[in-house]
Amino acid sequence: MTGIDHKKVLAQRLSARLGRRAVLKGMGAGLLTATAASGVPGIARAQQSGHLKIASIKVIDTLDPHFTGFLSAIQIINNIHNGLLKIVYDGENVTFEPDLAESWDLEDDKTHVFKLREGVMFHDGTPCDAEAVKFSLLRVKEGEPASPHAWKLALLDTIDIVDPLTIKLTFSEPYAFLPVALTGSTGRAGTIVSPAAVQQYGADYGRHPVGTGPFKFVSWKENDAIELEANPDYFEPGMPKLERVTFVLMNEASTALAALMAGQIDGMTDCPMQLVDQVDAFPNATLYGEIEGNYTFVGMNCKRAPFDDINLRRAVAWALDRETIVQQAYFGRAKKAYTPISPPMTSFYDPDIATSGRGQWFDLEKAKAFRAKAANQGEIEATYVMAERGPVGTRIAQTVAPMLAQIGIKAKLELVEPATWLKRRNESDFDLYDFEWVADLDPDETIYPEFRSDGAWNFGGWVNTEFDELCAQAQVVLDVEERRPLYYKAEDLLMDEAGIAIMAHMPIYKVFSNKVQGFEYIPADLVNLHTVSLA
Amino acid sequence: MLRQALGKIAQTLVVLFFVSVASFGLLKLAPGDPIQIMLGSEYSQESYEQLTAQLGLDQPFLAQYADWALRFVQGDWGTSYVARTDIYTYAFKEALPVTLTLASFSLAFAILIGVPLGVISAVKKDTAFDAGSAVLALTGTAFPSFLLGILLIWFFAVKLQLFPVMGYISPWQDFWGGIYHMILPGLTLSTYFIAMITRLTRATLIEVMEQPYIAAARARGEPSWRVIWVHGVRNIAMPLVTILGLQLGTLLQGTVLTETVFNLPGIGQMLTSAVLGREYMVVQAGVMMTATLFIGVNLLVDLSYPFLDPRLRARK
Repeated sequence: MTGIDHKKVLAQRLSARLGRRAVLKGMGAGLLTATAASGVPGIARAQQSGHLKIASIKVIDTLDPHFTGFLSAIQIINNIHNGLLKIVYDGENVTFEPDLAESWDLEDDKTHVFKLREGVMFHDGTPCDAEAVKFSLLRVKEGEPASPHAWKLALLDTIDIVDPLTIKLTFSEPYAFLPVALTGSTGRAGTIVSPAAVQQYGADYGRHPVGTGPFKFVSWKENDAIELEANPDYFEPGMPKLERVTFVLMNEASTALAALMAGQIDGMTDCPMQLVDQVDAFPNATLYGEIEGNYTFVGMNCKRAPFDDINLRRAVAWALDRETIVQQAYFGRAKKAYTPISPPMTSFYDPDIATSGRGQWFDLEKAKAFRAKAANQGEIEATYVMAERGPVGTRIAQTVAPMLAQIGIKAKLELVEPATWLKRRNESDFDLYDFEWVADLDPDETIYPEFRSDGAWNFGGWVNTEFDELCAQAQVVLDVEERRPLYYKAEDLLMDEAGIAIMAHMPIYKVFSNKVQGFEYIPADLVNLHTVSLA
Repeated sequence: MLRQALGKIAQTLVVLFFVSVASFGLLKLAPGDPIQIMLGSEYSQESYEQLTAQLGLDQPFLAQYADWALRFVQGDWGTSYVARTDIYTYAFKEALPVTLTLASFSLAFAILIGVPLGVISAVKKDTAFDAGSAVLALTGTAFPSFLLGILLIWFFAVKLQLFPVMGYISPWQDFWGGIYHMILPGLTLSTYFIAMITRLTRATLIEVMEQPYIAAARARGEPSWRVIWVHGVRNIAMPLVTILGLQLGTLLQGTVLTETVFNLPGIGQMLTSAVLGREYMVVQAGVMMTATLFIGVNLLVDLSYPFLDPRLRARK
């Protein structure tokens, strides 16, 4: 017996930490290899029929997986492309399984070997082989211009092509975050694009995406629609089932809902919370949605007065009545949060968090006690920057402001348009703001880039070197039992020093008319349509 | 007349120049930049700087403007920063026809409904019909178009399923389909104008009907309908056309909300998303087109006067 079975360790860890309720110990390795045997490509040609029209409410920036920063774009990109790995959800557990790969093995804890499926072709007829995979990974890691997702492959040392269908990735450290880095919803570092198409279109690849996915890109008319058609040579047998898919690009969600009710469209990739009651009352549509991997918070500017004062920040953290916020701002749909780690990360989320004594919650007495310790005892005026953005727009600020008034903080609500809001947040030009980090699949991406002392997204500027060390340490620990307490400790530091005031975990909704069958919900805001058919 | 037209066109070019500088400058002065929006949250300073340089956004303001203007007049409208759309195709070939169709429909509705209503109100002055149309007109001017749009959708498209909720079909490709899709948005956008035209027609027609030539026509024994619809209405054409020309700006403004509610891929939606996304060149293209449209229509209005009023025709 030499060393440890790294693949098993990783597999266990993956199956365990992302499970929703049950932790199926020992089954992990099975989950990873389960898909390995699934079919030889091109045997059964699917019979496609039906034209699905689905409203996409948000902005699509680009269809280039390596450059998009928008989940709404990923929802479409994912139907055109495949990755080395994919996210799978069985209603209980989120797992990562090989997608374009037939198998995924770990030679040691730093070396991953992917054996690719045979005969997979891009939509332009070029083969998807180890060369293509290497090309895509390098495009993310060190392409020109630099991909915003390059950091996810920063630890990738070498890429070796063993044979045309086998590729070996060597990392400089055990990279616990890899499956998420390759598939994570806002990243797409592991998505494989056609090298021929990239060479042909260059920077315009995002308007001419060519992948291996179940649907081929047809056209994109600005503010109108993105059209896809079935890829009859798709490697998963019997799929896709639809002949054509139209993503109707819309700005107004209430119009989309009306169109759904009138039968003009078959679904919505996103259903804002304010419309959920109406959808519930409509008998011909089905709502898909659960609390996903996210958290919302009120951010405070720790770099300048008044919130450079830890006691004042703590006062804010304890003064927020989360129950009222959930009811008023989130239409009663969200779940009170105590710490950032969210329910879908089961092996990290504490089911008894409400009674565990960890984190932040509403306690006005405690808030007032902290307020009494604050340096500034006069009435404090603070600028709260808000914008019509996010699922609940300006409602949070309006709900939070009176709560702050109770502890002698006068929030000056400043409504700016989204681009200005973004600039002010990124330049830390605020006292208070609210935001949500979404589509998290791992505690690392939940807190580390957001609150690391020199983190690019640490807009509030909270600094704690112990927190940094804990997270860095947890990044290379593969064992859940060992990793969990590190994140708990890191979270506790953040909550205790009130780097933010945490609020809620949100559900993310999608709607389909009852004609639409076979939609597989994945709690990472994905809309994969290869299994979908129209009755 | 040719001289007059050429003079107007020269004026137009000067105006367009100032409009382009103003819109370019204003948008640049507004905080926020396209790269930040396009990169979302996950980016490094390095990729930010690279993209900024690649798109030429690190150049000084005047250089950026000059670069844009030189290309624009040569017919190269550029490519949008984020989505990499060819702006000429997007703005001119795709968005403009949609907005023109919507605007034409609204104008047609406004004239076809507003003028008869106004004429009848004027003729039946101080009757119940007149009072009723006054109330309708006031409601029409006061009612926000986006709310009306949503109400129309819920009633006619969702409840009665008579019309489609949204979408655009080019009447050039499918004539009846195009009209069918334009009825609700056209009606929404035209309410304000129907109301305005009704009131304007009523007021001017009442004045016209007191003129001696009307009395003369009546004295000649011409039938009442001819007196009203020929002698009367012809004489309100000039104020009507003038107001319509000047109100075109309001109409184009209205397309923003109407296009959003009915999801029509026109200039209104294009400009909204371009301003929010700080797509400077798309905004420029939109502003240039609407400004040209506005000036062009008012030029046509000026040129139409001699046809509407024989007294204004140049004597040879």
